[in-house]
Amino acid sequence: MLDLLLLGMTELLHIKLLFIILLGVIVGILAGLIPGFTVTMAIVLTLPLTFGMEPVAGVAAMIGVFVGGMSGGLISAALLGIPGTPSSVATTFDAFPMSQNGEPGKALSIGIWASFLSSIVSFFILISIAPQIADFALLLGPWEMFSLIVVSLTIIASVTGDSIIKGLITGAFGLLISTVGADPIIGIPRFSFGLDTLRAGIPFLVVLIGMFAISRLFQSLENKEMVQDKQRRQEEKLKEVKFILQPLKTMKTVMKKPGTLVGSSAIGSIIGAIPGAGGSIANIVAYDQAKKWSKNPEKFGTGCEEGVIASEAGNNSTVGGDLIPTIALGIPGSAVTAVLLSALMVHGITPGPLLIVNEPSVVGGIFSAFLIASFWMLITQFVGIRYFVKVTQVPVHMLVPIILVLCVIGTFVLNNRLTDLYILLAMGIIGYLFAKYGFSLAPAIIGVILGPIAEVNLRRAVMSDPDWTLFFTRPISLIFLVLAVLSILFTVWQSAKLKRRSAGSL
Amino acid sequence: MGELVIGIILIIISITFYVTAGGFPALSDAPLQAGSFPQFIAVLLGFLSLIFVLIKAKELAGRKSGSTQESMGDKIRHFYEEHRLVLITLVSLVLYIILMQLIGFVITTIVFIVVTGYIIGPKKKKDLLILSAVAVVVTLSAFFFFENVLYVRFPSGLLF
Repeated sequence: MLDLLLLGMTELLHIKLLFIILLGVIVGILAGLIPGFTVTMAIVLTLPLTFGMEPVAGVAAMIGVFVGGMSGGLISAALLGIPGTPSSVATTFDAFPMSQNGEPGKALSIGIWASFLSSIVSFFILISIAPQIADFALLLGPWEMFSLIVVSLTIIASVTGDSIIKGLITGAFGLLISTVGADPIIGIPRFSFGLDTLRAGIPFLVVLIGMFAISRLFQSLENKEMVQDKQRRQEEKLKEVKFILQPLKTMKTVMKKPGTLVGSSAIGSIIGAIPGAGGSIANIVAYDQAKKWSKNPEKFGTGCEEGVIASEAGNNSTVGGDLIPTIALGIPGSAVTAVLLSALMVHGITPGPLLIVNEPSVVGGIFSAFLIASFWMLITQFVGIRYFVKVTQVPVHMLVPIILVLCVIGTFVLNNRLTDLYILLAMGIIGYLFAKYGFSLAPAIIGVILGPIAEVNLRRAVMSDPDWTLFFTRPISLIFLVLAVLSILFTVWQSAKLKRRSAGSL
Repeated sequence: MGELVIGIILIIISITFYVTAGGFPALSDAPLQAGSFPQFIAVLLGFLSLIFVLIKAKELAGRKSGSTQESMGDKIRHFYEEHRLVLITLVSLVLYIILMQLIGFVITTIVFIVVTGYIIGPKKKKDLLILSAVAVVVTLSAFFFFENVLYVRFPSGLLF
């Protein structure tokens, strides 16, 4: 574990690489800050820029974006009471009242420290757990791998979106898309429907850019969004907040609440490790738990320090958690880590349980980049926060066409194929329609990236032994499948309970 | 209503994939062929979509009786107002992608940014100037970065 870290450090401790991570962090913070521009978008658009780099450098840049992005939402949440990303919703509960009470600098500083310290906690959780899980995963045969993918997808479907059936539908849709193109075992072309465009398959990253960037941009152009945006901008102009940061004083404040900090970080790391659940769920759960355990829960919501710490620690620690299944199993828990994995694949590195054994320098690089990015985040936030605030002023009419162009360039650069641009368009429209009617897109994306792995494992399993019942008689495989069924039943039960309760209150 | 349509389209897609997959050649006597996994997924997607369509149809039938009637014309007008910019941007994106192959990357990109930004944004001269400057800088820097650092050949167009 430590040797991995040392190896990674030696790879990364060059001026050029440190600079690349710093750039990534800044881009991430800006992406978290600008409403309508998401961290996923930022990471997708960073990817083509990393093609010319060494794999370690490319991955390091993207980790920088990820870490920066998680902390970027803090700024608008604290100063304006508007979450810049869904990950900072709970931050508005206490950080905004705190700045209204005349302490905006304190709210920001506490948030920055909580983000930083929780990243460090989740870093230690990551480096101690990931190698153990990878070791365990080496024991899994194709049956278990297939069942593991089944359970990952059902969990993603149950935690995202507004109903489980919609999540399962988009998940299956993603799997179906992934079967277009050459068969992964014998290479027969499938589902080209006579179109040359489809013969090479539908590249995962094109689906991702279309569904997560293009469709999101379309959404921000809807009339009601534009009107809201205009109102928000006018309000913002009135709030030229002045603030003084007190880095040392607030550090002590945060350190004095070790229970809240470590507890929220642990919650964030665990939630981050669950496929599909990320910062947007973790910050609310961490806030809720901190309130439950607090000695004076009545202070929550009035600008209390613990509230800010819980929320910001909860969202930033999901980064470390999210990286656990990504590195140890090759199963990404979110769109962001899915991009990370595909960046590795672009460089010819196969993710999976063998990654730590085969590519220790890459894994070490990821670990170290996470640590370095956390420090950069701390420094850039304290130094640059005054300038970052100004960036929310970038007008939509400039942002949208430029990001659209960057999406088109990113797609074209992937394979140098103009026909991919039509796939991009189609995916943008499909993603927009799905999102408009409350279908969550995360299962679709994870389905596309896991589809080929699921198919290969399924066929390998049946090839080595045609007995179907092995999926249910091999104990670990059975546990995974039972978990999958339970996650569906639990979600159905929970939503039925919610429905009953809301019907009762009417 | 929209959900119902999406569900029905997904059922059609599932059936298409299922039938197409049945026609894939079987190369070996392996128990699972090239078409088996896609067929399995198609059945799953079709089944889920069918349940979804049934649920939504039931909901819709239950609601129909009590809801206020809005005339079809109003509905369309309302929809258009809400999505005007989305539709315009979509059309300009399609044109951008098609024209890029004919006229080349640099010119179409600059024009696309300026025109789309102008349609979305306020119609002021100052905004247009800033927008044009930004468009040129973004396009050229992206062009030179990718051509020189990553050796990507952008389409130069048929005319040049």
